[in-house]
Amino acid sequence: MTTPPTGFLEESDLHAFVDGILDPDQRRRVEEHLAQNPEDAALVESWRRQNASIRAVYEPILREIPAPSLRSAAAQVSAPSGAIESGATHWGRPGVLPRVRRREDILAQQRRQAIFASVLAVLAVAAVAALATFIFAGRSEHRSMTATSAPQGYVARAGLTYATYVSDQHPVEIDASRLEELSTWLKARVGFYKVPDLSQQGMRLIGGRVAPGVAAPAGFLIYERADGGRIGLYFERSVATITQQASKSGSGVTAIEWRTADFAFVLIGPLSLDLMQLAAEKAAAQIIGASKPQ
Amino acid sequence: MTNEAAFAGRLMSNYADILSELSEATPFFRRYARALGAGVGLVVADGLVHSALQGLGARLRAREVTPSDREMARIEAYKAITSLAAHKYQVASAPGPRHPPIVHGLAALDFTDRAVLLLVSLEGFGYAAAADIAGISRETLFLRLQRARAALENWSANSSGVVQVGAARSSAHLRVIK
Repeated sequence: MTTPPTGFLEESDLHAFVDGILDPDQRRRVEEHLAQNPEDAALVESWRRQNASIRAVYEPILREIPAPSLRSAAAQVSAPSGAIESGATHWGRPGVLPRVRRREDILAQQRRQAIFASVLAVLAVAAVAALATFIFAGRSEHRSMTATSAPQGYVARAGLTYATYVSDQHPVEIDASRLEELSTWLKARVGFYKVPDLSQQGMRLIGGRVAPGVAAPAGFLIYERADGGRIGLYFERSVATITQQASKSGSGVTAIEWRTADFAFVLIGPLSLDLMQLAAEKAAAQIIGASKPQ
Repeated sequence: MTNEAAFAGRLMSNYADILSELSEATPFFRRYARALGAGVGLVVADGLVHSALQGLGARLRAREVTPSDREMARIEAYKAITSLAAHKYQVASAPGPRHPPIVHGLAALDFTDRAVLLLVSLEGFGYAAAADIAGISRETLFLRLQRARAALENWSANSSGVVQVGAARSSAHLRVIK
């Protein structure tokens, strides 16, 4: 390649102009040239459109959040891809790229994972529904359970909520140390915000969460006793067509339902009917006496 | 602290710095891998980036590559992605109807031409760095860049039926225009 005389432009200068890697003087020279040569100006403009089109398609990828394993891939030690010949212990093979999987392998693995996840989800839903039915329907009632029958009463819904969350290591979304935030959140989502203090009954508040209700979002407060037993207070804006149920016990769990003007409450936990009744009365007294439902 | 200990400390610090750079630049690697595949799916492109970075990490630990700074580490990662993609994307699927026209145009380019165009136009590398990543000379890089742009224009003209102004005059050699 020969060096052109000073003052002349090469086509490479036009590319460099489009790619923004010219110094100010060169840039000014190219701009002057383009002002006098519409054909080159159109050429430059078409390259700019190409760049813009490419960026428009691929720029949004930068806003995606990569998987943590991808972010730390360089720090991961890959397993050797083939047989180890020497018999010595190898902790990865520096310099050897892992085997690249074929597209068909990846798609087949995705399909297997999707099927496995679907089966797991169906089994999990079935297990929760069966547990709630077992607890509250009782073995003697012999009610048929179909795939479409969801719990209709507040007690059944409270039982489902209790069975779903209470065994989790961290069953609440906002814990008791953020009581004010919890109250504000419940007021906004459920319409009721009074959190009864049941410490005199040996029940320490862990926190609360919002859960699916029968007809509206429900609140679910969880208390814990010194022996580790957990008690849930379920509440939801009540609907007159849903009838109140009598207290019931089953499989070591007792549920007590009561109503105020606007809300239905269910206290549920692994205590005797007497203890649960006492705790429910304390809670109801605080709710009625100290605060009126919103 | 002995000189050896100080040297080892600097190496460890540099290694941690490089890993941090590679982690921060991961979104850019994903974008490049996806564009370089011109129609390949997310899983395939991310798998390629993962393999390339894992391989680079192994070479860093074995001191087969010793980038002096974060920018050099980034260039090494682009090299690894480009090199791996050259093999892996040979069997990659073509873009489908849902892909924008420019993706079809990119897919029609020669692999190295596409890599050069993307390194410069999308990833913002200068010509020297892009040539280093693609493993070609700077002169060859310019020829390939010129060829890629011309091919993309021709492809665009043929697919849309519109004659592009510069398409007919683009050539594969340097020329003085003024």
